[in-house]
Amino acid sequence: MTTDEHALATTEHSPIAGLSHDSTGGISNVVLGMLLFLTSEVMFFAGLFAAYFSVRAHAPQWPPINPETAEAFHVEILPLVGPATVLLILSSFTCQFAVWGIRRGDRVAFVRNIAVTFAIGITFLLFQAIDYAALGSEGLTIASGPYGTTYFTLTGFHGAHVFGGVVMLGVVLYRGMAGQFSARHHDAVEAASLYWHFVDVVWILLFSLLYLLPGKPPTG
Amino acid sequence: MHPLRHPRNAIFVGLVFVIVGAIYFGVQAAAGWTVDYAGVTLLILLGVAIAIMSYVLIAGSPND
Repeated sequence: MTTDEHALATTEHSPIAGLSHDSTGGISNVVLGMLLFLTSEVMFFAGLFAAYFSVRAHAPQWPPINPETAEAFHVEILPLVGPATVLLILSSFTCQFAVWGIRRGDRVAFVRNIAVTFAIGITFLLFQAIDYAALGSEGLTIASGPYGTTYFTLTGFHGAHVFGGVVMLGVVLYRGMAGQFSARHHDAVEAASLYWHFVDVVWILLFSLLYLLPGKPPTG
Repeated sequence: MHPLRHPRNAIFVGLVFVIVGAIYFGVQAAAGWTVDYAGVTLLILLGVAIAIMSYVLIAGSPND
């Protein structure tokens, strides 16, 4: 059996078909490292979500009263949050198309889809910056009590993760354009796509929590 | 062969923690106590983390 035939046979019989793995059937070191990292990231965001729920549960009403205007903070979906959400979900698809492209050795499709994903990531960050500016002009900042703190901490850390993903995608794009990936050697692409999907799922949870979950009426 | 037979079945290990979180919430809500939302959230998301870890442990093991 040649090396290529052995690699193909390993792929076909792998218990984790679709993910990169070494020649003995285990997960590749790169993907293994990313999965372990994502496990820790799940608990990182778990802490933030837990803090949000705890603060919200103990507040007399949610969103709370803005001391400056004596009215509750306004939480309607900002103009760019919806499009940003749609774009981020779309980017998970383009990222996966890139993975499927390189798995079958189609470098053109791979580079094209990674480039689109990269561009969408940057667009999302721009939209978030514009939304932050809009909120700031309405008086909601990170110093606006527990509401502002939890809002900006949750979305800010997510934005930081998107920035990390964009950097990762940039490196993958650069290496892809340099021809460093092939159907057999693309562990970094698999790892970056796992991270990007994770960031996308976290945003869907955040979006549901911050914009779709009904507010809490005043008690008493 | 591992008892879970397939790495994707690792999700059932994580599901255990999600169920514990749901019970933790259900008992507090049913009894009329102050619900510990932080604890419920952490238990449920711990299930997600445990599921990924279980996947890694099973899928990462060599086939031989």
